[in-house]
Parts: sequence; structure tokens; C-alpha cells
Amino acid sequence: MISLELSEQQKQIKEMTHWFAEHEIRPIALEADKLGKVPDDWLHQVNQMGIHLNTSSFGGGGKETSQGKKKKEREGNRMGVIATEEMAWGDPAVTLSLPGAGLGGPPIESSGTPEQKERFLSIFTNDKPRWGAYALTEPEAGSDASGVKTTAIKVNDGYILNGQKIFITNGARASWVVVFATVDPKLGRAGQRAFVVEKGTPGFTCTKLVKKMGLRANETAELLLEDCFVPTENLLGGEKLYETSESKPSGFQVAMKTFDSTRPIVAAMAIGIARAAYEYTLNIVRREYPKQGKYYYLACQILAEAEQNIQAARLLTWEAAWMADLGIANAKEAAMCKAYAGQMALDVCSKSLELLGPTGLDGHLVEKLFRDVKVFDIFEGTNEIQHLVIARRQYAPYGLRV
Amino acid sequence: MISFHPTEEELAFLEVAKDFAKKKIRKVARTGEVNLKVNEELVEEARELGFLSLELPEEWNGLELPLISQVQIMKALSYGDLGIVQGLPSAGDAAPFYRIMHNYSQLQSVKEKYMDQPDYCSVLIDLCKTSDFATTELVVKRKGNNYELNGMTEPVRLARFAESVVLFAFDQEGQAVILLVQDNKWTVQEGDYRLGLLASGLGRLVFENCVVPANQVIVTGNDAEKIMKKVRTRKFVLEAAKQNGLMEAALDYTTQYTTERKAFGQEIAKFQGVSFKIAKMAMETRIVNHLMFEAALKADEDSQSAYGLALRALHRAHKGVRFVTDAAVQLLGGHGFIQEFPVEKWMRDAQAQVALYGRESNYLLERGTELLTSEGRVSVE
Repeated sequence: MISLELSEQQKQIKEMTHWFAEHEIRPIALEADKLGKVPDDWLHQVNQMGIHLNTSSFGGGGKETSQGKKKKEREGNRMGVIATEEMAWGDPAVTLSLPGAGLGGPPIESSGTPEQKERFLSIFTNDKPRWGAYALTEPEAGSDASGVKTTAIKVNDGYILNGQKIFITNGARASWVVVFATVDPKLGRAGQRAFVVEKGTPGFTCTKLVKKMGLRANETAELLLEDCFVPTENLLGGEKLYETSESKPSGFQVAMKTFDSTRPIVAAMAIGIARAAYEYTLNIVRREYPKQGKYYYLACQILAEAEQNIQAARLLTWEAAWMADLGIANAKEAAMCKAYAGQMALDVCSKSLELLGPTGLDGHLVEKLFRDVKVFDIFEGTNEIQHLVIARRQYAPYGLRV
Repeated sequence: MISFHPTEEELAFLEVAKDFAKKKIRKVARTGEVNLKVNEELVEEARELGFLSLELPEEWNGLELPLISQVQIMKALSYGDLGIVQGLPSAGDAAPFYRIMHNYSQLQSVKEKYMDQPDYCSVLIDLCKTSDFATTELVVKRKGNNYELNGMTEPVRLARFAESVVLFAFDQEGQAVILLVQDNKWTVQEGDYRLGLLASGLGRLVFENCVVPANQVIVTGNDAEKIMKKVRTRKFVLEAAKQNGLMEAALDYTTQYTTERKAFGQEIAKFQGVSFKIAKMAMETRIVNHLMFEAALKADEDSQSAYGLALRALHRAHKGVRFVTDAAVQLLGGHGFIQEFPVEKWMRDAQAQVALYGRESNYLLERGTELLTSEGRVSVE
């Protein structure tokens, strides 16, 4: 049955995350942007409260149990996008800095062995904040994820990794990073593997923290792997997986599968940012704009369009998350929501600034949101890559690869 | 729980509707346009399948389906051809009014007609849309307990086939009134229509000293305004659904065409200028679908928010159907412009539909006013 009602659990998570965003995240947003980091004591405090950024939620719909009873429908992906929207509404840079596996979680959840899941995902405890990270992009391979140049040479008991990774969210502070590398560049995608590289591993260093247009409070690192030995047990899925499976999985597939889960999360963040800008501006227009005349009509039209576009993005995102929960292939829908939400959110922030006028430049949240939001149309696959994914899926039934 | 999955019953209905759209409606699209009407055989089949009475109440022999089911079916039918769907003689835009007011004794004569004749044709004339400006005038005056109509309507669909007219108006004192006009107390000015929806019976209704007796004054005052708003809500959602069906038709047709058409030695789909446009068409089609679903669900709940969501859905459907049908013609190039391919008709129909069903900027203005005066959050109810 078609329904857009939240379940009780979804309502609860929405309320809880909104409360946290409003009372804990938003108050430090502008200050964290100025500092260029989220204060450590704040991170310790929220970690002790058990609040993490969790983007992992894989698996299909309710399966039959041995007693023939239907299990409760899985709703983790829907919960994830609902919660993330609220947190990003508070502030996206602070949200991305929350302790937890972050974008490194999904590949481990989807492709890790049970032992790897236990080893890497159980470290996120309340005693001190810890992070995971995801390192795919390289100076010469961003959108073209199949062009990864980082090498992984097989040696006794492990692999030697060499290469450089850039634009890595929480990359320097992360306890471990999922790193994509190739065992043989000639094999193309089939040669790719995903490794979990732990902090402190000899040969694994952070060479730079980059300064950015926005999301300034969130750490973005450049990482270097120089003859970095990674033990075999840190190869995601283990070697047996690559030897025995007929489908020949590769690191490339791990990366792509990750996107089907993380793109709706990123879209939800963009929606949260757009909503923050829209609501902030709506309040000012209500308070300060004339109640009739050309400026009133201008504001009506801009705000109505913004509200519509935000909801359009949200429904696309919910659909992609719903499909993921039910185990339905959702690459097209995940790309749709990400493509639409990223561009929409920038437009909403820009139009909000238009409504605020020059005053908006001076100490207003919307200015920061505008700087923050641009990258949501870039990371986790640029808008153009999303269009490519959508088009490929659209043409797939006709047997044409574009 | 958030779900985009239709019920089993809806899926069964949709299968029939899609099949009918592809095998029957699509086939007669061009001839309907030439003959300026839908052929009787198709009307009879649509009647037998129940497609003419989805909105009508069960007591009137209708199916009285929830709006969320209807929008899926209307979308599937319009995938065949919007011009034909808009020309199917039926309760048309008056259907939501009949559904809401089905117990009113003044409507018994209409009920009797629909009991055995679902293709009995009604027209809704809405003169009360506060945000719309009409270039022609129809004056509604109260004279004692009766009303008198003088003037001409703007073009409406099904005008040429109309047997009953439901009129939403304000009288000379600004009081809202809903009137039922029957017995052909009007003439039809057929006009010179060339743009689109040519099988839909476009015309203007002309009333000259037309007296509507007290027993055909259905409701007045605040009650009338409330009913009008509910009727508009349902109408907007249903029209958005039909437009979404047309969008999907244009998207699918163009996707297939661009896989077959070659230029510079390869399928044109392999050029990103083409494939990215297809991606945008797919996104826009999906967005209209979802906004329309949400409005339908809220209308089914009789939620206060339904009207605003319906405005929003129809605004987006207007914008979407213009974009997607234009993109379809563009991607077919010269072939898109000639009548051997369906997309030129779809683009014309889309523009005519948008002209008939309200100005986009007015919808935004009305929605914006609603947001500025209400809580205004992009809420999840």
C-alpha cells in the first residue's frame, strides 16, 4: 500500500534527532565554522551520549523465519535518511564530524566478513570518540572510480599499498580507513580491492588537511600510502571471496554498492541544509517583508518553489531508502535523489540569500549553508555522474550501454 | 510506514488500464483529434471497464475509489493519450463534486442519469478561483430565490458534449454559490481550436438570461466555499496524475527512439547531451508522481493540508509536462515536429492542458501565501 506516513519508530527518531540538532548542533554551527573544527569537548560529550554518525544499513526486506512468521520489515535506510536530514538541518559540518564509522561503515557492512565487521565496527564505544573513513578519490581518479591508481602488491600475509588519496572526510582522525587499490591495473575494475587500513600503520600518513569553501568545521584530509603493509585479514571480504565467487566481485563493486546506500544519506543531508535555509528565510520574510506588493509576491513565489523542491527531493530520497530496505536494486533511484537534492539545495540556499539581500552576508546562517551545500552536488559522485548512472539504468532495458 | 508499493487490487487494475492505454487509447489518438471526439467504441469499452466512473460514488453506480488508487489508474490511462482521456464523456471535473455531495436531494436527477449512463457528460465551471483572471465574463445574479446567468465562459473541456453544468460562482453580493444547470439552457460557442486536446470537446458555454431555479441552487455561503475547495483539491490531483501519465509516455517513447536513432556513427543515446536530458526527464517524471501521490493521500485523509499539496502537485505537473514533452520533441529533432510521430501531439496537448487547468505562477503565489501565513515548515504530517 502506498503510504508516506512515518512509522512510530521513524517518528521517534525524527523527533529525537531534531531535538539534538536544534539544541546541541545548531548552537555551535557558526562558531565551529569560524574555528575550522568542532570543539573536542563537544565531541567527547556527544560521544558519551552515544550519538554517532551511522550510515550503514544493508540487507533486504522481511524474510521468513524458520517458524514461517514474517519478520518485521527492515526500515534502517528510511530511518537513516530521516535522522540525517534532521542532523544536517542542525549543521552539516558538525554532523559529518560526529564520531562513528561514517561513510566507511557501508562497505564494511556490505562486504566485510563477520570477523571484520566485529573488529572494525565494534570500536565505536562511549569511552572516547572514534571515526571511520572512506578513501576512494585520488588526484587522478575522482568520478572515474575505476581509474584508481593506488596499488596493492601481494606479499606474504598481506599487501603493500602505495598511492595517494584526497578529499577524505575525517581521514586524519579516523581509526581506520577503507582504502580502494588495484592489485593489477591491467585488470581494470576486476583488479580493484578494498582494504581497511588502520591508523598508525607504518607508511600510512596524513599529509595535509585542506581548507575549503564550506564545511570548514569538518576535517578533509589527504592521505599517503608509502610501502604500507596491510595484512590479509584487512582485505574486505577476505581473499577467498575473490577466489571462489563466480560473480568475481571487486573493490569497484564494493565502492558502487556503497553508493546505493550512501547517496540517499548524502541527499538527505542536502535536504536538511535546504530546509534550514528555507525555514530561516521564511521567518525573516514573515517578520520583515511587506505584506503586499511586488516584494511580497516575489517572496511568495520563491518560497513556494523552494518548499516544493525540498519535498520533491525528500520523496525521491525516501523512495531510494525504501527500496534499499526491501532489498530492491536502487542504483537509479539513489542517483536520482542525490542528483536532484544536491542541485536543489544549492538553489534554495542561493534564493534564500536573494531574499535576505545584502544583509544576508553579515553573520547569517544562510551564507554559511550556501558555502556548505555546494559540495553536496560533488561528493559521493558529481551531479554529472549521477546523470550518467540514471541514464544507464534508463537505457538498460533496451540493451544499450551509454 | 513509508512505502511506494501499490496494493494487489491497484496492481490488477493498473494492468488492465495500461493494456487499454497501449492497445486501445494510443491507437485512436490521431483519429480522435481529426474527428474532434473520441470514437464511440472506445467510450463503450472504457465504460464497461469502469474507467468513466472511478470517482463517482457507489450509490451512483460508481467505483468510489480512493484518490490514491485513482491517480495511478488515470496516470496509466493517460499514458495512452491525454487528449483521448480528456475527451471521454463522463462526469469530468464535476465528478469530485458529485462524490462529495452525492446525498443532496437536488442532485437526484443527475444521480439517476449516472445510474445507467456513466458517459453522461457534466462540466464544471469554476468562476471562483481567486487567483485567476478571466478574459471573458459570466455574470451570476441572485434574483429572489433564483439566479440568473448572463455571459460566456472561458473554453472548457467537454463543453460540446455537456448535458449538466455545475457552476461555482460569486453572486453580485460576493456570496459563494454552487448551481446546477440542466436542460441545455446554454449554447456552445465552439471556436477555433488548433493547439491540442482537440478530442476533448473544447468550447465556451454561453448563457443568456438563463434562470436557475431555487431547487437547483445546491449550496451557498461558507459551505459552498468549503465544498469548492475540496472539489478543487481532488480535481488538481487528478489532473496532475493525467499529466504525469503523458510525461511517462513521452519519456518512454523518447528513451526508445534515442536507442534506435543513429548519428555520427552511433546511437544518439550515447551522446551525453541526449542521455543527460533523458535522465532529467526521468527525474522530473518521478517527482511529479511522488508529489501527486502525497497530495492524493492527504486528500483521502481529508487533511487540512491537502489543498496546498494539490496546488503544489499541479504546479509541478504543469512545469513537468511542459518540460518533458518539449524535451521529447527536441530529442526526436525534425521527426519530433511531424505528425508521423506522436510527440508533437503530446507537446501540443500538454500546453493546452496547462492553459485549461490554471496558471503556474498563480499556483505558486497561492501556495506561497499559504506558507507565509501558516506554520510553513516542509513538514511530514
